[in-house]
Amino acid sequence: MTRVSIDPVTRIEGHLRIDVEVDGGSVQKAWASCTMWRGIETILRGRDAREGWVFAQRFCGVCTTVHAIASVRAVEDALQLEIPANAQYIRNLILIAHALHDHIVHFYHLSALDWVDITTIPKADAARAASLADGFSTWQGNSHRKLEEVQNKVNGLIGSGQLGIFSHGYWGHPAMRLSPEMNLIFFAHYLEALEFQRKACQVVGILGGKTPHIQNMAVGGVMNAINLNSLATMNMDRLGMLQSLLQELVPFVQQAYFVDACLLAASYPEWFRYGRGVANYFSVPELPVDAKATQFDLPGGVIMDGDLSGARAMYNWRDEKFRSAVNEDVTHAWYRGDGALPPWKGKTEPDYTDFQEDAKYTWVKAPRYNGHPMQVGPLSNVLVGYASGHALTRKWTDASFNTISSVHGSKVTPEDLQSTMGRYLARAIRSSMLSDLALEHWQLLTANILRGDDTTYNPPQFPRHQIEGVGMHEAPRGALSHWVVIEKGAFSNYQAVVPTTWNASPRDEKGVPGPYESSLLANPVADPAKPLEVLRTVHSFDPCMACACHTLDANGREIAQVKVL
Amino acid sequence: MKMSPGRSNHPRVSVIGMGNVLLGDDGFGPLAVELFRCAYECDSNVEILDVGTPGLDLAPYLYDADVVVIVDAVHAELKPGTLCVYCEADLFSRRAQLRLTAHDPGVQQSLAQLRLAGHAPSELIIVGVVPESCGFGEGISPSVLKISSLAVDRIACILAERAINCRRRSAPAQPNLWWLSGDQPKFVAAS
Repeated sequence: MTRVSIDPVTRIEGHLRIDVEVDGGSVQKAWASCTMWRGIETILRGRDAREGWVFAQRFCGVCTTVHAIASVRAVEDALQLEIPANAQYIRNLILIAHALHDHIVHFYHLSALDWVDITTIPKADAARAASLADGFSTWQGNSHRKLEEVQNKVNGLIGSGQLGIFSHGYWGHPAMRLSPEMNLIFFAHYLEALEFQRKACQVVGILGGKTPHIQNMAVGGVMNAINLNSLATMNMDRLGMLQSLLQELVPFVQQAYFVDACLLAASYPEWFRYGRGVANYFSVPELPVDAKATQFDLPGGVIMDGDLSGARAMYNWRDEKFRSAVNEDVTHAWYRGDGALPPWKGKTEPDYTDFQEDAKYTWVKAPRYNGHPMQVGPLSNVLVGYASGHALTRKWTDASFNTISSVHGSKVTPEDLQSTMGRYLARAIRSSMLSDLALEHWQLLTANILRGDDTTYNPPQFPRHQIEGVGMHEAPRGALSHWVVIEKGAFSNYQAVVPTTWNASPRDEKGVPGPYESSLLANPVADPAKPLEVLRTVHSFDPCMACACHTLDANGREIAQVKVL
Repeated sequence: MKMSPGRSNHPRVSVIGMGNVLLGDDGFGPLAVELFRCAYECDSNVEILDVGTPGLDLAPYLYDADVVVIVDAVHAELKPGTLCVYCEADLFSRRAQLRLTAHDPGVQQSLAQLRLAGHAPSELIIVGVVPESCGFGEGISPSVLKISSLAVDRIACILAERAINCRRRSAPAQPNLWWLSGDQPKFVAAS
């Protein structure tokens, strides 16, 4: 039995510690611990409910817009306030652009190096790589000349003897299996991805006024002025700029990222067998297409025990079953108390004890749905959509299955998606879906404006009595919900149940582990001193600990020790 | 680094405040760039940004820039409230023992990626202040607040040295420091 402690897990947003017990080449037990305090909500109590979103978008430095949108939706839900259709489309375009940015960064910059060994790139035949890439995709970045340029850069980097940020990779690890040519193609897209990240930011900037902290949000809609005859407002020029940016961004997602994710799956098909973990999934409906938010372009729903045929649909955000099902358990988290409370009654009182694997060992609470741990994220999104026969989900999921089969030969099924590789693939499927929808929602916004509708805001009116609301958002890492209690226009309670809280959840009072922890069971580990395979499964969730816990510990110290025991 | 002839006449300049405004002195960067925006007037080629704590998502804000000034809280073996200025090489040197508060892996990795891709900024300068305390919801501490006007003038000086237009406003604008206004929430620290 070997105990391996990875602290912190690198190439994630924020700080996370993973402990595993390895025996006979695979993981027997696992613990996920967030080493920083989570106390975001305390700052919102007593604040004006109209301004909550301004603070909420500082919860996390990465998912800024996500919390801004969930916050205004929570207050609107409490007020039962409808927002204009233009406001829905503008919010939708912002959240699509943010999600595409996020998924691209995750695939290339946060996780590709778990699978791509850049030190083999000097051995690649660039011409062969170009013709190989040509066989799968029409992406313009796959030319012989471009790939040769990238190879020269990598040769220079390796020749200099100073790998810099790439010096900590598990290069030469037996679990790295791509050919030098494939490594070259992936790394070329890794560098190209930077340009498309920027374009996604520009979309958010045009609509949100600023990026990364948008300025246009409001309880009741958005603050974008629409006037086709004014230079200073949303007009045809701005709409045209948005359309061009989206038209440049979409091909990178669908021709480079999506294809790369399929090729990765075809090259490492055994990873469809590992990392299933918690097979309970849920997604909330996203991309409302009407002012009242009764129709959505992305479906929501709940799947228990991996049974797609028994999926329950969640048609809208007012789903009462969801509202009464969520509890947060603090038995194994560093908070006072030992049971579970619904978010509206949630407390955030720190009770730090040090890492005690049989008692309290993390700052992350354990959210439960009718008492069950749940997995959230793009995989839940895709499974819920696939189970309900959602056409766009089926289109891109089936396209990925066909591409993988054509390369690897064996058939891939929706059942295979419930795995480490499935989470990578689902994120690429979702990105391709969002790309199609980006252009559609641009069309919806433009058509509505051209019809003469320039309204973007319905002013809120707050009652004196207490009201409660939930703001839901299917964020890049999964279902996010902000739970608010408002009295006389100010928050009296505020709890954010964030995607990473669901996934990085510790054990609950019954000792049932969360998704990270259970997905690591039976995960192979060839060399406990280089636990690359553990990172593959942890990274498949795209951990972002900043809002699940916090960017710093309570004393403001930075925790940065890497130890492999 | 790419420097096209046209670009050097109108260099793309970014003054970037980094840090989390909800974490005490960690919010020094956003505070300083807001004070700078109110005290000085720049041409349209100078972008003043509060980027928060973007991690790797910093890359788009550095992409193809000519001059970048990052303003942030830094951990150095110096007295809290000390103003320090570093160049890009210091960021990668072990000797300087420089650690931007919680954000340094993002800065270094973003820069290294952009350099390989050929889109890194031509010059990067860091204006840092050693924080007194970065506790949750504490606001800015007196020593850091006191040094901030010096930091603002230092940013102006750095731009002027590079022939980037930057004029002191005759009537300073009112800074929007929304996170410091109103009641500070009560914080119960974990022992």
